[in-house]
Amino acid sequence: MVSMTAPVTVWDLPTRVVHWLIAALIPFSWWSAHSDHLPWHRLSGYTILGLLIFRVGWGFAGASTARFSAFVAGPRRVRDYLRGRLGAAVGHNPLGGWSVLAMLAALAVQVGLGLFSIDEDSLEPGPLSGLLSFDDARAVAHLHHLMFWVVVGLIALHITAIAVYARRGRNLTGPMVTGLARLPPGARAPIMAPAWRAVLAAAVAAGLVWFIAHGLKL
Amino acid sequence: MPSSRHFAWAAAALMIAAVATAAGVTGADAIKARQTHMKALGASAKAIFQQTHAATPDMAVVKAEAAKIDAAAKALPTWFPAGSGAGAKTEALPLIWTDPKGFAAKQHVLALAAAKLNAVAQAGDAAGVGPAAHDVGAACKGCHETYKEKDKT
Repeated sequence: MVSMTAPVTVWDLPTRVVHWLIAALIPFSWWSAHSDHLPWHRLSGYTILGLLIFRVGWGFAGASTARFSAFVAGPRRVRDYLRGRLGAAVGHNPLGGWSVLAMLAALAVQVGLGLFSIDEDSLEPGPLSGLLSFDDARAVAHLHHLMFWVVVGLIALHITAIAVYARRGRNLTGPMVTGLARLPPGARAPIMAPAWRAVLAAAVAAGLVWFIAHGLKL
Repeated sequence: MPSSRHFAWAAAALMIAAVATAAGVTGADAIKARQTHMKALGASAKAIFQQTHAATPDMAVVKAEAAKIDAAAKALPTWFPAGSGAGAKTEALPLIWTDPKGFAAKQHVLALAAAKLNAVAQAGDAAGVGPAAHDVGAACKGCHETYKEKDKT
């Protein structure tokens, strides 16, 4: 085994906070919907929406490992990675990058469907359900139920991948908690982003969520 | 002249045909009709809630939809004829027909709430419509919880 560097920060704080809040809020959303706590379900969905908006912004303005440009790889790189031609990645590997995109997209669809959904008794209308007829908003609510299982499928894939890497001696969970990982010698340490960008992105995300939650009215 | 025996046979055949037709009606057709009624009722409820959640409710919409809800709530007991628990895909649970007293009690809760909503709406009481509409929604939910199949997904 080649000697690794001392631990350096690979995942910045905003990326980790987004990750773990989403990880906590997905089961919470499921539970609150199934135990009839729709006001909590709504808040949970709004929070996830804000985190997704923030994460997309952070994908352009965040630390180097958080940026889409760093981890969205073409098919050839994915193939080379799968054949073991690329070394261990700093940040998302070419395959993991697509997993991140798939999960962000699936969650965006899921939250989007929730915004247009309505319950059968109209007691808890989604903030954008007014744009649809009752029947259509109910149909969207059914899609919202089905889409949950797509999200669950992607999470299962994610956890399976983590388990596979763990068996091969690579701990992916620890770095997502602490942000720290040892890099292969010669690998360049990720570049962090200034905190003010995170504050700005969070403010923009919060504003957008507020606007959407008010039915696209100021 | 047809003999009385012929007449009896004809009458029996007619009765069988009538029962068979009635069974057909109370099965799939009654389920379809019920679903159409329920969707219309749901659409009215949604339309009212949209107004009560709005900054300035459109009372003309509230009055029209409240009248529809009141009429639907009064007609609702006829939407569940015996035998309409099967014959097409339905989320109506068998408990509706095995627990008619309990089911009737739920219908009564809706009828009262709908009548009150309609009265408040027709009186033009914009502030009173919100809570009254909520009581109607709660009555819908109160019955659905027990007598309607939960979403499987």
